[in-house]
Amino acid sequence: MNIIVCIKRVPLTQEVDLEVDELKKGVKKDALAYVINDWDNYAVEEAVLLQEKFGGTVTAITIGDEDDEEILRRALAMGADKSIRIEPGERELDGFVISKILAKTIRDLEYDLILTGVQADDDNAAMVGTMLAEELGLSHAAVVTGMEPEGSDAIIRVELEGGMDEVSKIKLPSLLTIQTGINEPRYVSIMGIRKARKKELVVINVEDLGLSEDDLAQRTMIEEVFLPPETEGAEMIEGDPSSVASQIIQIIKEKGVSI
Amino acid sequence: MLSVHPVNDTYLGLPGYVFAWAIFIAGLSLFFYIIYKRSLLIRSGEADPRLASLGRRLSDLLTYGIIQKRQPRYLWAGVIHIMIFWGFVVLGLRSIDLVTQGLNMPIFHPLMQTAFGPFYDSLKDLFELIVLGACLWAILRRALIRPERYRGSHQFEAYFVLGLISFLMLTDMFYEGSALLMDQSGQVKWLPASELAALILQGSAPRFLAGTHAVSYWLHILALFFFLNFLPLGKHFHIITALPNVFFKRLSKGAIKPARWGVEDIDELESLGVEKIEDFTWKHILDFYTCTECGRCSDNCPANAIGRPLSPKMLTIKLRDHCFDRAPLFGWKKGGAPAEGAQAMVGGIISNDEIWSCTTCGACEEECPVFIEYIDKIIDMRRHLIETSQNPKTFNQVLMHVEKTGNPFGKPAAKRADWIKEMEGTPVRALSEGDEVDVLFFVDSYGSYDPAAQSIASDIAEGLHIAGIDFGILGPLEKDSGHQVRRMGEEGLFQLLLEENMETLNEIRFNRIVTTDPHAFNTLKNDYPGSLQVVHYTQFFVDLVDNGSLKPLKRLEKEDMYTYHDPCYLGRHNGIYDAPRKLLRAIPSLNLVEMERSRDRSFCCGGGDVMLWYEIEQEEMRMAEKRIQMAKEAGANVIVTACPFCYIHFEDAIKTGGMEDEMRVVDLMGLLVSTLRN
Ligand SMILES: Cc1cc2nc3c(=O)[nH]c(=O)nc-3n(C[C@H](O)[C@H](O)[C@H](O)COP(=O)(O)OP(=O)(O)OC[C@H]3O[C@@H](n4cnc5c(N)ncnc54)[C@H](O)[C@@H]3O)c2cc1C
Ligand code: SF4
Ligand code: SF4
Repeated sequence: MNIIVCIKRVPLTQEVDLEVDELKKGVKKDALAYVINDWDNYAVEEAVLLQEKFGGTVTAITIGDEDDEEILRRALAMGADKSIRIEPGERELDGFVISKILAKTIRDLEYDLILTGVQADDDNAAMVGTMLAEELGLSHAAVVTGMEPEGSDAIIRVELEGGMDEVSKIKLPSLLTIQTGINEPRYVSIMGIRKARKKELVVINVEDLGLSEDDLAQRTMIEEVFLPPETEGAEMIEGDPSSVASQIIQIIKEKGVSI
Repeated sequence: MLSVHPVNDTYLGLPGYVFAWAIFIAGLSLFFYIIYKRSLLIRSGEADPRLASLGRRLSDLLTYGIIQKRQPRYLWAGVIHIMIFWGFVVLGLRSIDLVTQGLNMPIFHPLMQTAFGPFYDSLKDLFELIVLGACLWAILRRALIRPERYRGSHQFEAYFVLGLISFLMLTDMFYEGSALLMDQSGQVKWLPASELAALILQGSAPRFLAGTHAVSYWLHILALFFFLNFLPLGKHFHIITALPNVFFKRLSKGAIKPARWGVEDIDELESLGVEKIEDFTWKHILDFYTCTECGRCSDNCPANAIGRPLSPKMLTIKLRDHCFDRAPLFGWKKGGAPAEGAQAMVGGIISNDEIWSCTTCGACEEECPVFIEYIDKIIDMRRHLIETSQNPKTFNQVLMHVEKTGNPFGKPAAKRADWIKEMEGTPVRALSEGDEVDVLFFVDSYGSYDPAAQSIASDIAEGLHIAGIDFGILGPLEKDSGHQVRRMGEEGLFQLLLEENMETLNEIRFNRIVTTDPHAFNTLKNDYPGSLQVVHYTQFFVDLVDNGSLKPLKRLEKEDMYTYHDPCYLGRHNGIYDAPRKLLRAIPSLNLVEMERSRDRSFCCGGGDVMLWYEIEQEEMRMAEKRIQMAKEAGANVIVTACPFCYIHFEDAIKTGGMEDEMRVVDLMGLLVSTLRN
């Protein structure tokens, strides 16, 4: 089974005091640490698990600059066989453009399955997977929490609202957006990542893909990015952890929850 | 009637010495063959340079190999062992003498004709009795007292060899005793063992005496060569390997061995760590051969004490058995692959949880009379587990965070110095490249971000400020020291952190580094290259108190009984036992009591690495809880530590154990600072 995984490098924003940039179109990114998008980490693991079981190749793709190659090497260290980086140059990207670029790149490759993450931990748009499937004319499923190939089909498990799961059959080739928790991604050591330098990493310039300017024109126009206004009514609970915990329990009880 | 030497008799029509030669050649050839076979595996082990500091090695060999200084740490067993060891030393000459007599080449004859002869005869007789007594004592101890630490050891072999040694003593006693009775030359010597045998043989017919004489000799020689060949087959190999093992012992403490000795750049390596037996260094394989199965390591191992699936002794026994399987006496060729379907060594013979159970506390290594190493081996196996993604999944995020943000919490590097904002009245300088400072305070990740450890860091800063020391912290420039990362087996990441920290340290001029916790102290001092001037805060502040810069004057409010817990990386790994105690004694009206397990026998709190992020399921109780119990048994109600991890573990154990009313934990720095404030 030949699998393509689309992965993205995103900033770690946990506990960071984000600041809006001068143009008010984004946040300041220079002090941020970047990692592979968590969902994509699961997608790579799933691809590698399937490849270990059923053979074939795993190709990891990212659109990004040279720094983003780090996540490709991580994917290679996890067990991917090849990787492709599409250099976007100075172009601004949104979900639409990304899916166009990916579709154009993937169209000529051989694959039975495309995996993306459900969403990326930066804008959380959750658009690329489904748009890419549409672009390639593939059957797809979103928020997949399980996948078992069965001949030319696959049995998939999809997470629904309200804690319900849905199991269905999908015809391959298809595209799945992978939900966290589908597996337990492996750790790859720094040495493993360094050794992955020996594996194939192809760089393609976006201008060489032959996409039209219309394809490369963003459809998402950001008017303004701002921090949520501070609202009234928030109560900060101070104290050591145990007194904080007991105060919280008190509040929950007061609100009528029986615990 | 004069005794005829048994080899001068004829047997089956052949002179005795023909048989003596046959036994000698067969026994020695077999012995060398076995040793050759055993050496194959050692020779296929990885490099491990152990020849530097010959002088120190020789003096340690004398102290620990010959004088056996560590033996009496277990008093009676130690005394017995020393008696037997010294018996072997004295009686070795006797054995060679007996053998060479048989070969008709009595090389010691001239020596024995001098004044040394009669002296030696008396001495060896005395030692025969001593060894015999020691063997009997040892047998009785094993059978009656049944020390727990022998569980899992090869007990039968122990009894068998004690019996065999006794047999060697007895045969020589009767050989000499019968000669005494037959010898009418009237020489007067003090031969207590032979005389005892003679007493027993008194009144026997001359034929019987002659027979006893001959039979004793032959049995002695046969038993001797049997013994020689039996040694390398089991735990008594140590009789041969212990002295070399002590000679080649590790001289430095605290540091973890490099991934491969002699390889500067780990990028050159195909793989890190140890997967199969030959990946261990030759010295580590020698360790397996040398283990005496005395169980002292496991008896002191905190992981073993709380029922985790790790017993260092069993780890060695299993790996020695594996050595013998991989390189059997017949058939193994160098580089031979393990048999198809054979159990993997790492993850099979030694389970993953066994490997993760170790806190690297060093209690085992401190105790082992023959200096067998554990920590380096365990880390080497962890390196393999990390490299092959077999680590506990909980490590993934921690290690990723360390890589990306320089701390295990994944908190922004920019916030590394945020704790100093909370300090009222104590200015703390966050250094930048090019700055100059007297004391560089290396706070490390826990001190920077964890609330409990932060308060220790604040106390240190306050203490430095009160003493008027010119100090500063690295703040966002500081990366995790890598102590934990290295001990979790992520060598590549450790090297990365080391490089980044060294780059920063090279850009700042300072006289010395003071650390919050013993782990950063240990790793900067021992794992980092060069010789950074690093001290732990206890060492630094004891000097300030000594020279009067700081005066802990304020009396403690409550009448408490304090006990000090030696953090492993301060005590055992770096030998700092007195500085913290001195500080405690400088505090007015502080009552101090020692726990039974203190100083180099301290019992680990749970450790500052793996334990923070991975719970071993198979555990009867927490290490920290057991330690608190020990403090309680000593009569203390306050346990003082000098390490944030000990503090965190103890605090947790006191809470989860519901002991808040009876026990308290304080960090030494907090205690000290509270006596400085007005
Ligand atoms: C638990 C859970 C959490 C999720 N969290 C997120 C999230 O945070 N962010 C995110 O972007 N995605 C999230 N998703 C994923 C998202 O729901 C799907 O990826 C996406 O909606 C897939 O579209 P769909 O084709 O299933 O259409 P649907 O989700 O079924 O519908 C999408 C829209 O299409 C239109 N439509 C559909 N059917 C009809 C019809 N018959 N007639 C007229 N109009 C119709 C409607 O406007 C409808 O709202 C989550 C999904 C689940 C189950
Ligand atoms: S270092 Fe400590 S925990 Fe590890 S085996 Fe030795 S005694 Fe046990
Ligand atoms: S390793 Fe050392 S302490 Fe442990 S059983 Fe062997 S000889 Fe004894």
